[in-house]
Amino acid sequence: MEQILGSVGRKTIKSVNHVLDLCALTYRIFTLIFKRPQTGRVIVKRVVLEQIYFTCVEALTIIIPIALLIGSILIVQFAKYAGHYDLGKTTVILIVRELGPIVTAFLVILRSATAVTIEIGYMNVLNEIEAFEMAGLDPMWIVCLPRMVGITAAVCCLFIVFDLVSIIGGYGLVWLITNIPMGNFLDQIGKAITAADIAVGIVKALCFGVIITVTSLSHGFNIKKNITEIPVGTSKAAIESIIFCLIGNIIISAIFYL
Amino acid sequence: MYLIELSNYSLVVEGFGNSLKDIYFTLTKGDACAIRAATADAYIFLKALATLVGPQTGTYSYMGEVIDFSDYRNLLPFKKKIGYIGLDSAMLSNKTVRENLLLMRSYFENSLSLDIDAKTLKLCRIFNIEDKLDIRPGELRPIDLRIAIAIRELTKSFDVLLLERPEDYFGYNSFGLFNEILKDTLEHGHGFVFFCNNQNFIDAFANREVLITDGTLAKAPKLV
Repeated sequence: MEQILGSVGRKTIKSVNHVLDLCALTYRIFTLIFKRPQTGRVIVKRVVLEQIYFTCVEALTIIIPIALLIGSILIVQFAKYAGHYDLGKTTVILIVRELGPIVTAFLVILRSATAVTIEIGYMNVLNEIEAFEMAGLDPMWIVCLPRMVGITAAVCCLFIVFDLVSIIGGYGLVWLITNIPMGNFLDQIGKAITAADIAVGIVKALCFGVIITVTSLSHGFNIKKNITEIPVGTSKAAIESIIFCLIGNIIISAIFYL
Repeated sequence: MYLIELSNYSLVVEGFGNSLKDIYFTLTKGDACAIRAATADAYIFLKALATLVGPQTGTYSYMGEVIDFSDYRNLLPFKKKIGYIGLDSAMLSNKTVRENLLLMRSYFENSLSLDIDAKTLKLCRIFNIEDKLDIRPGELRPIDLRIAIAIRELTKSFDVLLLERPEDYFGYNSFGLFNEILKDTLEHGHGFVFFCNNQNFIDAFANREVLITDGTLAKAPKLV
């Protein structure tokens, strides 16, 4: 019994320590945003743009079809079973409030969080982080901050794209290929959606961006000198990001809607 | 004033020889110090001098200032002044060789539209990597990659140069060439610490030697 309690206790302490480490990393990156060091700004800007390109622009070809498919499936189901009186409200609740941010976050985790963990892991193993430091460059400023800004901006943009494509595109697809009556769907959406819904979606996207970046960076930096740690760290980063995003989603929804 | 002063410096790194035990070491301007030690001990000593590892006990002073190892950010201004050509030195793999060579200047001069300066370009020409500047380090031959790293470090405005096994680092063909360039690069005010098994190199550059045995430091017989 003592052994079980001891094991549970140790794992709890380890988990709490890990969460505190993530908070400390987040704090350290945020302080850089406010300190705004003068040196290296052009490099930081360039890395931010590259990160937005990799995470957002290159993901458009994936998120648009996914949004279309999810949007059209949901609209068909709602139109058939919920009845078109609640269609707008149901669509807003499910797509804008919940599915939009979380599906976007999952996509970014699959594409970019894993890539960031692998990249940082390799940089650590191959002494590239040391190379930055030996040049007098702060890796937190030149590696971490641009990734956080880039990924967070990308999640926000992708969330907006997902919502628009899934609602408008989904409606268009259903209208084109089925005869399901949907009433005045877009008008209903217009009436059902509020500024708070959009604001909450953006808040969720911002939080998910930060969560994903910090988790993937942390696991990347935890990989020390062994290349075989990289797949393990990547897998952990992806799973943890998903769990933390789901928990974050519940907390934000509870704060705004309960 | 010493360029570098290690006092009561102890460091244990698992898997790396005897590490360092309570050593006292100083380096003054113009010093060129050869290390006689087992490879692992010399490696860790050079890493310690490069501030890439911190002491468990003791102090590291740079130009009279004791370095605080508790935060990596405190070390950056010192690392900037140390040239480190080690067998494990690296270039950033997601940037071209040119971008790597310009990285420090781009960062501190806040510009991405810089050209490689004449001195760096001359070294690239001498070592025959001028036509490889726009490819990524991963595409270079290992020897060219090492040369590019050495050029990056030699063109950095360093106070201290740390060099690990140049005879292995540069290979047979480029080693002699590197020796000539190093003679031109090292100025009177620089400190130079190296680990080399080539006696000619030691004779040519060292004005003193230190011996590391069982993690402790001893003075080797005076050379010059």
